[in-house]
Amino acid sequence: MSDLWILSPVLLTLGVGIFLLVWSFAEHILAAKAFRPAEPAAGSKPEKEAGLKTVHGLAVGTLLAAAVLTLGAAWSGDRSVTLFYLMKDIPIYFHIDDISRWFVTVVTVIWVLVGIYSTVYMQHEGEEKRFFGFYLLVYGVLVCLDFSGNLVTMYLFYELMTLASFPLVLHNGSREAIMAALKYLFYSLCGAYMGLFGIYFLYRYCSSLTFMPGGTLSPEAVSGQAGILPVAVLLMLIGFGAKAGMFPLHAWLPTAHPVAPSPASAALSGIIVKSGVLAIIRVVYYIVGPDFLRGTWVQYTWMALTLVTVFMGSLLAYREPVLKKRLAYSTVSQVSYILFGLAVLSPAGFTGALLHVAFHAVVKCGLFLTAGIFLFCCGKTRVDQLAGIGRRMPAVLWCYTLFALALIGIPPTSGFVSKWYLAQGALHADIGVWSYVGPAVLLVSALLTAGYLLPITMKGFFPGQEESSGSAEDTEQKQRVQADTAGAAKRQEPKAAMLVPLLILAALALGMGLLPGVFTDFAGGIAALVI
Amino acid sequence: MDFIRNFSFFSIVLSLFSGPLSSILGRKWAKRVNTAEIILLGLMSVAVLWYVLQTGEAFVYTMGHFPAPWGNEIRAGVLEAFMAAFFCLIMLLCMWGGVRERESEIEASKQNLYYIMVNLLLCSLLALIYTNDLFTAYVFVEINTISACGLIMIRQNGRTIEAATRYMIMSLLGSGLLLLGLCFLYDLTGHLLMSNIQEAVHALVANGQYQTPLLVSISLMCVGLAIKSALFPFHTWLPDAYGYSTVSSAAILSSLVSKGYIFLLVKIFYRVIGFDIISSSKVIHVLFAFGIAGMIVGSVDAIRENDIRRMIAYSSVAQIGYIYMGFGLGTTAGVIASIYHVVCHAATKSLLFIAASGITDVSGGSRHFEDLTGAGYRNKLAGVAFTVGSLSMVGVPMFAGFISKLYFAQAAVGHTVKMLPTLIALAISTILNAVYFMKTVIRLYTPVKDGEKKAGYGTITVRQQPVKAVALILFILLNVILGLNAEPVIGLIRTGLEMFS
Repeated sequence: MSDLWILSPVLLTLGVGIFLLVWSFAEHILAAKAFRPAEPAAGSKPEKEAGLKTVHGLAVGTLLAAAVLTLGAAWSGDRSVTLFYLMKDIPIYFHIDDISRWFVTVVTVIWVLVGIYSTVYMQHEGEEKRFFGFYLLVYGVLVCLDFSGNLVTMYLFYELMTLASFPLVLHNGSREAIMAALKYLFYSLCGAYMGLFGIYFLYRYCSSLTFMPGGTLSPEAVSGQAGILPVAVLLMLIGFGAKAGMFPLHAWLPTAHPVAPSPASAALSGIIVKSGVLAIIRVVYYIVGPDFLRGTWVQYTWMALTLVTVFMGSLLAYREPVLKKRLAYSTVSQVSYILFGLAVLSPAGFTGALLHVAFHAVVKCGLFLTAGIFLFCCGKTRVDQLAGIGRRMPAVLWCYTLFALALIGIPPTSGFVSKWYLAQGALHADIGVWSYVGPAVLLVSALLTAGYLLPITMKGFFPGQEESSGSAEDTEQKQRVQADTAGAAKRQEPKAAMLVPLLILAALALGMGLLPGVFTDFAGGIAALVI
Repeated sequence: MDFIRNFSFFSIVLSLFSGPLSSILGRKWAKRVNTAEIILLGLMSVAVLWYVLQTGEAFVYTMGHFPAPWGNEIRAGVLEAFMAAFFCLIMLLCMWGGVRERESEIEASKQNLYYIMVNLLLCSLLALIYTNDLFTAYVFVEINTISACGLIMIRQNGRTIEAATRYMIMSLLGSGLLLLGLCFLYDLTGHLLMSNIQEAVHALVANGQYQTPLLVSISLMCVGLAIKSALFPFHTWLPDAYGYSTVSSAAILSSLVSKGYIFLLVKIFYRVIGFDIISSSKVIHVLFAFGIAGMIVGSVDAIRENDIRRMIAYSSVAQIGYIYMGFGLGTTAGVIASIYHVVCHAATKSLLFIAASGITDVSGGSRHFEDLTGAGYRNKLAGVAFTVGSLSMVGVPMFAGFISKLYFAQAAVGHTVKMLPTLIALAISTILNAVYFMKTVIRLYTPVKDGEKKAGYGTITVRQQPVKAVALILFILLNVILGLNAEPVIGLIRTGLEMFS
């Protein structure tokens, strides 16, 4: 039990998160009580600002402290903690292994950077105590999720993550946001229950539900009546795939991401969807075992689903005019790259998938933060409004371009490395015709990615002159574009707290591509262990 | 400490006689006596539980020291004592949670009557739990029915009288069938005491005599108790009875009355017939099928319902289905899961009813979904409590419902044929539960637009209703404790079932 301290970051974030929530709750009650209609608001504003500074300081301080503790816990060896027994043979059990380290590091880096960004961004959304309260809660739950050492513990925190993160989606309280949050909740719960359904089965067929590299399926239980087990595994894949935006349960993603505040969508898109990936890795590589699935119809169905998602996501993104929605569709497509890498069940594919987890988290998070800056500074949400934005904030648009290149996978950015491994994995795996179809689909999707991301850069730096075709609508649009261009002529970069995280993410997106050795070695090490 | 052996008998008699006492007291005092009595009964049950755990075996208490064929017997084991203590706790919290509604919805002159009914009900529940005599059980089943009818119709409006009549007709039908089955059994064995019947039944089965009458008798008793505990398709009386009565009645009816009958059924399985005979008979397949049908149909009905109280009532139909499905698995693991679900459902459903009353209070008294918009902000504690109850019913980890589903699944995977239907039904019903409970929770936390504000949208704070707040908080704690640390309760149930045989 001496390793109990690895849960200290969880305790810290949960404590401060709950404190902030109680504070916000208490404020609401007090406000309702002391409500006076014609109260002059003269002296109250600086006071409020001071309060907000405390909140920001508290939130960022907690995040940094928790980050140090988390990374310290994660990188100080394979530690494990049994908290208590949920049932006679099912403990709440945490164990840190290489997968935990990989995921928790990604989560921590992104969470801290987005947290710093939010201190400025959330000023225009309001309700900051509530936001940071839930933001910290989700971090604590995510750390638990990454550290969890058996299937039931993971499921528990998987559900808690849904519950803790959905207030982030409905943050602004509009009808649209609430309906989107509702949709998110439904898809997540339904997906999780499909996963739970599978856990019931695995409980029978596995020697234990504790994660073991290579799986814990017990051969004597499987032999004879394995007919139903593949179905259960496929259901788990689809169920946990709901969080990862895999077809057919992907529809919540493009609804929920655009309505959430931009930092929340960055966190959702960068991290929360990855917990679906984590769940699938745990189920396939640590419980069921890749050998059981290799060459079965489940593997082919899974692969087909991921490829459909990759293609469909890119195509929908290409047709989507609203920037955040376009990025959300792009997430649908990109996360299925990861799932495809997992589905080929080969070491190179697995390595590529793990690399893409980290790279996509950095890149997509950066893209959403950029979209947030466009929204925050200029109130622009649609792609066609962004013409000429490069004159106004060149640094931001340069970062955007770098992220775009990384997402497409152009060397020397990071996306190239992961996609290289993914394609290698597919080509060298023994999966028949799929080893050609897969990379082909990935290539087409990369082209589409270029098609939906790069025009913003081009229009942003070179707005040009639209040709007038005479119709009233076009004229109006043209006037608007011109007005925008004129307004955007002045150079006006966002505040440092917003720009610096963006620059760090951009440096990461580029740096991890220039020096990929450390990452590929680490990911390759895990791959060699599980396959 | 052998004095404690008297406690189970004392508690039955005490609750029986505090009924007349509260009829002559003033209203305030009747309430206080009632609370004190329930607490005392709970403490006595805990003492019995402690005693039985110490000695490690169940004891039989012969009334008046008359030996078996003439005298009447009480038998207390771990499970009996635990159930008695738990029922007292839930009863107390239900009474606290509905105190304000009782005072406003029931005529002042009839409020003492309410306490009499509650005393009688508790007395009959304890007797059902402790008795070792099948005919005594039948007598108290009838007392239970009558007092339950009283609890339904004491809030006088047209709907409750209709509901009480329906309840009475269905319930008496159930008691009639139970009585028939009991008579058959008496004919076959010549005994009424549970342990004697079991010996005789085992002898009959060993000799292969009277197999058909025995089967008929078992099925009559099962059907009778199934009607009384509202197993699908005998559930039609339930939504009205739970939906329109005053809130403590609804909570008591759903969490205690139906559970008393289910507990009697468990006793019949284990103590009267013998579980090996039950699990090899075909009756349990029927129970299994109707349990599964109930899980699905109850949830679908709840989704279509537009009235929050009736929605919760339909959800009870689904939960009763779970319990019968557990019995239908025909294994001890299934019965353990079912009894745990009895406990968890009692803790959750009464919480939901009481929270729902807090929610309707701040929505102009309306129970329709459109009017409940934003009620979670107007009565914050009730909103939180309803959310906790919903999450528990849906089966989100950390709350009681998740554990019971896990146990059901664990019981099911030990079974070759029934595994697949059970798991599929669990999955479908979980998703259906999520649909209607989450729909309600989201509705509660949807902010009201300015133009939509209606008359009667007040706010209620914790300080205005301290008793109810205490009840709600204790219920929430109970749910979380059952959800996080279920192992002790399961251990009690397991040892209790071992003591049964």
